[in-house]
Amino acid sequence: MSPLTLYRLARAGTRTDTLRMTMTAVSATLATLTLLAAATVLAIPGGSPGDGSQGWSPQYRNPLLVEPGLRPGVALALVLLTVPVLALAGQCGRLGAPARDRRLAALRLAGATPGQAVAVATAETGGASALGAVLGLAAYLVGRVLAGHPGADGKLALPTDVLPAPWALVAICLGVPLLASAAAALLLRRVAWTPFGVVRRVRRRPPRPWPGMLIALGVAAFAGLTPLLRFANRHHLDGTKLIPTMLFGGGLLASLGVVVGTGWLSHAAGRLLHRGARRPAALLAARRLVADPWSNSRTLAALLTAVIFGSGAAAVRAWFATEFAVRDDVARWRAAQAGQPFVAGAGAASDDFYFRSLDLVDTAVAAAIAIAAAGMLVAIAEGVVSRRRAYAALVATGIPRGVLARSILWQTLAPTAIALLVALGVGVALVRGIVTESRAGGYDERICTAGAACGDPSRAADVVTILHVPEFVRAVPVPVTDLALLGVGALAAVVLVTGVGLLVLRSSTAVEELRSA
Amino acid sequence: MSTGHILLGLLAAGPVHGYELKRAYDQRLPHAKPLAFGQVYATLSRLERDGLVAFAGQDRDGGPDRTSFRLTDRGRAALDAWLGEVEPPAPHVTSVLLAKVVIALLAAGVDRARNYLVAQQRAHSARLRELTTIKTDPGATLGDVIAADYAIAHLDADLRWLRTTVDRVVDLHREVRS
Amino acid sequence: MTSVLTVRGVVKSYGPTPALRGVTLDVTEGEIVAVTGPSGCGKSTLLHCASGILRPDAGEVVYRGTRVDTLSETRRSRLRRTEFGVLFQFGHLVAELSAIENVALPLLLAGTGRREARTAALSWLDRLGVADLADVLPGEMSGGQQQRCALARALVTEPRVLFADEPTGALDTLSGEQVLGYLTRLARTQRTTVVLVTHDARVAGYADREVVLRDGEVDESGLGLARVPATDAGRGER
Repeated sequence: MSPLTLYRLARAGTRTDTLRMTMTAVSATLATLTLLAAATVLAIPGGSPGDGSQGWSPQYRNPLLVEPGLRPGVALALVLLTVPVLALAGQCGRLGAPARDRRLAALRLAGATPGQAVAVATAETGGASALGAVLGLAAYLVGRVLAGHPGADGKLALPTDVLPAPWALVAICLGVPLLASAAAALLLRRVAWTPFGVVRRVRRRPPRPWPGMLIALGVAAFAGLTPLLRFANRHHLDGTKLIPTMLFGGGLLASLGVVVGTGWLSHAAGRLLHRGARRPAALLAARRLVADPWSNSRTLAALLTAVIFGSGAAAVRAWFATEFAVRDDVARWRAAQAGQPFVAGAGAASDDFYFRSLDLVDTAVAAAIAIAAAGMLVAIAEGVVSRRRAYAALVATGIPRGVLARSILWQTLAPTAIALLVALGVGVALVRGIVTESRAGGYDERICTAGAACGDPSRAADVVTILHVPEFVRAVPVPVTDLALLGVGALAAVVLVTGVGLLVLRSSTAVEELRSA
Repeated sequence: MSTGHILLGLLAAGPVHGYELKRAYDQRLPHAKPLAFGQVYATLSRLERDGLVAFAGQDRDGGPDRTSFRLTDRGRAALDAWLGEVEPPAPHVTSVLLAKVVIALLAAGVDRARNYLVAQQRAHSARLRELTTIKTDPGATLGDVIAADYAIAHLDADLRWLRTTVDRVVDLHREVRS
Repeated sequence: MTSVLTVRGVVKSYGPTPALRGVTLDVTEGEIVAVTGPSGCGKSTLLHCASGILRPDAGEVVYRGTRVDTLSETRRSRLRRTEFGVLFQFGHLVAELSAIENVALPLLLAGTGRREARTAALSWLDRLGVADLADVLPGEMSGGQQQRCALARALVTEPRVLFADEPTGALDTLSGEQVLGYLTRLARTQRTTVVLVTHDARVAGYADREVVLRDGEVDESGLGLARVPATDAGRGER
């Protein structure tokens, strides 16, 4: 098969296919931009953490960019932001897939080998995302010129004065399409295009609750961190290298557990619903949940990951707030001891810095939820379209569209609500595994008011008074309000998206759908 | 009396003499039961008697007498009436095939009837193939094709009936034995 | 008269349901064989096994001395593309490609040059009387025209064996007759062997020979005879 033929076959398609390829390209553009941003942040010259102010880059307005120690975190956050983008790309890949599957089956019938069919499908994704990556690079290069002028304060809003190494640029622009093609090929692994159409090798076994183990392991990794560090300290080992591994690994395990566990949750929700359901809408939804519990976990993956991050951030925020409160307790006590008025917010500037950083994380989470919701919209609409004949047949036999709409709503919301609760819980549990209370004080302080004489050890007993600062302890509260806000926000996004997705139901259930062969 | 009507129809185009009429009959209805010369003349004279056809002249170019006939107005009216008349759809179920199967079941038993049915199906299929060959021959005329179509459709109907009957007979047999 | 395709004791089940219970069939070079039987008798499954689309559970399929059933999916695809042609009830044309592209497809997949493939495709469309539809999409054609394009696609590789599964099932009588007329005429001039699956006696009439399948087995008694214990048949003879 010549490349030209491959191109022609990959390009053949209807408007839905064009839409899918456009969305793939757009996702690739977004992913490329995010990765380029991360690479740029990393490319800012500056020493390793601990260099003091030597590695600082005062030309930036944003403190997160100024301090070299914070930059890897920013870059990591940016890289993590590509996860929902890639999930969106994955959802878009299912857009119009039934038509593509039919086309590939027809190709197989015309004598294409399974490899050739996969090559055609992969070429489509690869080509679209290569185009997207090039567009992303172009947008990046144009953007850094446009935003490259310092503001009124003479500082730069973004690190437009550095460019990542050429090899990094090349790696990103090649890596995105390659990764996308590889993901497409991987996703198509379960799909066998027989000459008679698609046979998706469906997992018959109902899902098992073993992903719960993954969550437990993830939380354990976080909880084990403090004792492990203490152990390392006692044996004079360097435990600092453990920290990122345990945190990253634990977070990944827990997220994976939540995402995979949604299959079981959907199945369980379906069975429960089936037992309790009296109305046809709930019955339909229950049946479908039991029949294909995995479709939900695919759809929800990105949303749940974002929610875990969000609830983790909320827990961290609560921790910081408690930490600052305890510090203020000590300051207040000492002010009282010294007979001076207590000035609240002595460290407000740095507090503000921490909270601003967390605000950035929250913004990223909100963006991720929005992107994930867009992915869900695509998935829901696609699900309705791919089942349109069945729906049209139901409508033709007299089932009102409202019942179908409610069944789809049930089918989406029942597992989503439960999965969201689990995700919120896991996010909080991860942080609470590290810390549940803040302490300050509980030490003796030497106070010397004798000026120059303080330096003389022989007179220490006379001029130095020892002040015992009592220990203040505050429990880190569970940030119920924040969590509720996050959960309700995510659920609202899902409800909105489902509602919009249901709009395709009307056109998809036209009885004419029954006529096409 | 359809033979008479067919001859009236063949005369509709203009005067023809008896020999040509027989040829036209064979050509237009190629796979029908052959029509004998005697029958042609007998029918013509009856039609003439009834005033449906009339003598149109005689010529004799070195052969036997050739009498041409033409359609009269009454003949044309009779032809129109016949063409407008709907044939009663299978008024009586009369078929040697059917009769034979019924009698075979009565007189010789299920096994015998079944063996007959199988043999009959073979014969039908062979004939159907033969007719398809005739039909698909590049030299086949429209008359050939239409006639073959007619026969094929009937053989097909017979075959379907035969198959159903075999199934029924076998079911009946099973019921009787179990 | 040499045998070109042999199916020996082929068994195939879909889950617990047996579709073929050991079918043996020998097809000689250049003949047109009709496989008939009531719906659900396994005739389509037999065609799929014989053409290498499905892999039988047991038994063997031999094409010109080569075991087809043991070949890999890729090798079987290649065999189908080069030696076999397939034609189904619905043409299975790629809806997004024009007639000429559809017909050229097997050649392009095999790596033939674009121009050469188009020339061959056009000549086959011409032979089937649909050359004027070369740039038309399948959705804009009648069923008979689609099926003629599908036949052109099946024949463009000049296959040794053509497998046709109810090729006229979705067509009216006259369109069906036209397709069958082309099919048999071209097969006979090319000496192509044809395995024709149908439930219609009139379609089977185009074949040289008829094989009847019932309940997943070849009905040796001839035409659609239900399975009856042998003793009964024997008693009937006496």
